[in-house]
Amino acid sequence: MIAGAGVATASWATGACTRRADPDALQFWAMGYEGDYSPHLATAFTRSTGTRVETQSLSWTEAHEKLLTAFAGESLPDVFMLPAHWVGEFAMIGALARVGDATLVDMLPGAVDLTRAGGSGYAVPWVIGTQVQYYRRDLIEQAGYPEPPADWAGWRQMGLALKRRRPDAFTILLYLNWPEALLTFAAQLGAGLLRERNTLGDFASPEFREALRFYKSLFDDGLAPRALATQIQDPVGAFAQGYFAIYPDGPSLLLDMRRRAAEIPPDNWRTAVMPTPHGPAPAPGVCQTLVVAATSRRPREAWALVRHMTSVPSGLRFQRLIGDLPARASAWRDPQLANPRLKAFADQLAHLAPTPALVEFEQIRMEVQLIAERVVRGLVDVNTATTEMNKRVDLILAKRRALVQAGRIA
Amino acid sequence: MFVLPVLAAIVLMLILPTLLALALSVTDYSVYALADWSNLRFVGVDNFVELFSTPLFWRALGNTAVFAILGVPMAIGASLGAALLLNSASVHWKPLWRVLLFAPYVTSVVATAVVWRFLLNTRFGLLNYALSLVGIAPVDWLGNPRLSIPAILLFVTWKVFGYNMVVFTAALSAVPQDLEEAARLDGAGRWTRFCHVTLPAIGPTVLLAAVMSVAGFLQIFTEPYVMTLGGPAQSTTTVLYFMFDQGLKWWNLGQAGAVAFVLFLLILALTFVQARMGRRHEWL
Repeated sequence: MIAGAGVATASWATGACTRRADPDALQFWAMGYEGDYSPHLATAFTRSTGTRVETQSLSWTEAHEKLLTAFAGESLPDVFMLPAHWVGEFAMIGALARVGDATLVDMLPGAVDLTRAGGSGYAVPWVIGTQVQYYRRDLIEQAGYPEPPADWAGWRQMGLALKRRRPDAFTILLYLNWPEALLTFAAQLGAGLLRERNTLGDFASPEFREALRFYKSLFDDGLAPRALATQIQDPVGAFAQGYFAIYPDGPSLLLDMRRRAAEIPPDNWRTAVMPTPHGPAPAPGVCQTLVVAATSRRPREAWALVRHMTSVPSGLRFQRLIGDLPARASAWRDPQLANPRLKAFADQLAHLAPTPALVEFEQIRMEVQLIAERVVRGLVDVNTATTEMNKRVDLILAKRRALVQAGRIA
Repeated sequence: MFVLPVLAAIVLMLILPTLLALALSVTDYSVYALADWSNLRFVGVDNFVELFSTPLFWRALGNTAVFAILGVPMAIGASLGAALLLNSASVHWKPLWRVLLFAPYVTSVVATAVVWRFLLNTRFGLLNYALSLVGIAPVDWLGNPRLSIPAILLFVTWKVFGYNMVVFTAALSAVPQDLEEAARLDGAGRWTRFCHVTLPAIGPTVLLAAVMSVAGFLQIFTEPYVMTLGGPAQSTTTVLYFMFDQGLKWWNLGQAGAVAFVLFLLILALTFVQARMGRRHEWL
């Protein structure tokens, strides 16, 4: 209780410093572009129901701690956005209101499974996305490839051919502090990251080691720059200049490509599914969901806002604005989503790899990537690294292991 | 009677939080405890044992030590050098220079860190451009684990030297001029005059600046956070960054409390050493 008071003071000083300008408005928090462009969707809601909505856009680097601090300080907003793999954590601490099953109909297959925690629904899938390759058609055509090969071996040959033509440029941009690429390769090979009811790490498995070796080879062959996200200030500009030929990203990059069409003519880039070891393989998807806080003082209006944001017209409007793909299945019948540029996303969304619904999963992803970065920089070899990953993850999961063995959690 | 309000403030804002942090550090407070108080366990020194067997903690300590060992002489040297230059009789428009040199101190850390990230960019940063004019190949400032700390220190020195420069300017004005004159007439060179006349006179101020700088550099956080997010390869992860990561990002407040306590003891020990040195030189 005292610690809570201490944290409450801290959060009052930091998180809730902006006093509500409009006490009648619903508070809505979202991250990234979804947060920046939500006011466009909220105006239609205000027009139809008369309830004002105050949107706050969080940056991804601070979102996790800001939400946890807001919960501890009892200043969560009415409605907020959560990536699906955080839903378990926030449901466990009691921050979320339960969702009735009736609200969760008409969703893309796999989207609802990503958001379940302890058998109940706590979040409504809003937008869903996955990483695909945005590739410079003109650059890879110069190396003799009309499109990137679909298998790893052919793809590597293309990369080496590109490197021979332009030794100072790179084939693909893989940030060394983002875990998406490595975890996609692991999922494609079928490497389950955890074992024993998700209480121990399984990174020494042959599949994960192969994924890590492939990941490392991309850097060793000079196909990807050894750069952190903080070092490339303008990735779209670098893509336009041809610093790298392939930019793996989600649907929201479509917005940047539209804005900077003067630098990259639309004819010069296409999308394609990420290369797989052999044949179609599952890949992790990212589902952003909307949740209502359990402490919301206006649950009826909050749920109305969630229903509005996840409706088909809102989903299509959002797709036009920022490129994000709706999780609502019936939205996909609209011709707007039959755009050829979206075909790669649709194909990949049909095979989504499951993500463990764990409290510690975000921390595990980050720590695994930190060790993978040391592998890429040659500071440690693959086998030692995977053993270290297991040790680190076992330590992170120690509390969970104790609770599972005591039968307190599933 | 009259000290009661101040005492109350000190107890509430300094002593009580320290005790609470110590209390947190002997439990395994985490997100699970946030969910349900009955998940909280008293673990004694387990957090400290786990901390000392975490390689990243030692790496963070090492990085913090490098920051302090390189940064304190850089910052104090730059401040003292600037103050001495400004003290010279042949410099005109002293107030203007003082404002210009102090200006970086009042800028926002995050905004200037973003600008310096551009300056230190390997491909099109101004620093590498300037180096290329004298024939040096592009240096990977923020991407090479060995160069990332010096790169951040360049920025930090530029940012903070103004404050101590003003402090030293005030101290230098108190150096007895007749001693200087006598030394100069006796034939003492610049360096000898500096060592034997100026430095002893501003000794207490240098000690104060050193104590504050060491404490400040041991707690450096914002610059590694904005410029490199603790990378590359965790080469700029400092103890405070590690504590922030564990405590606020992942909500392992028990572990973070342990880190905070260790940092507290470390700074206390170093300050004690510095105070002893100061007392020996009669600067305290």
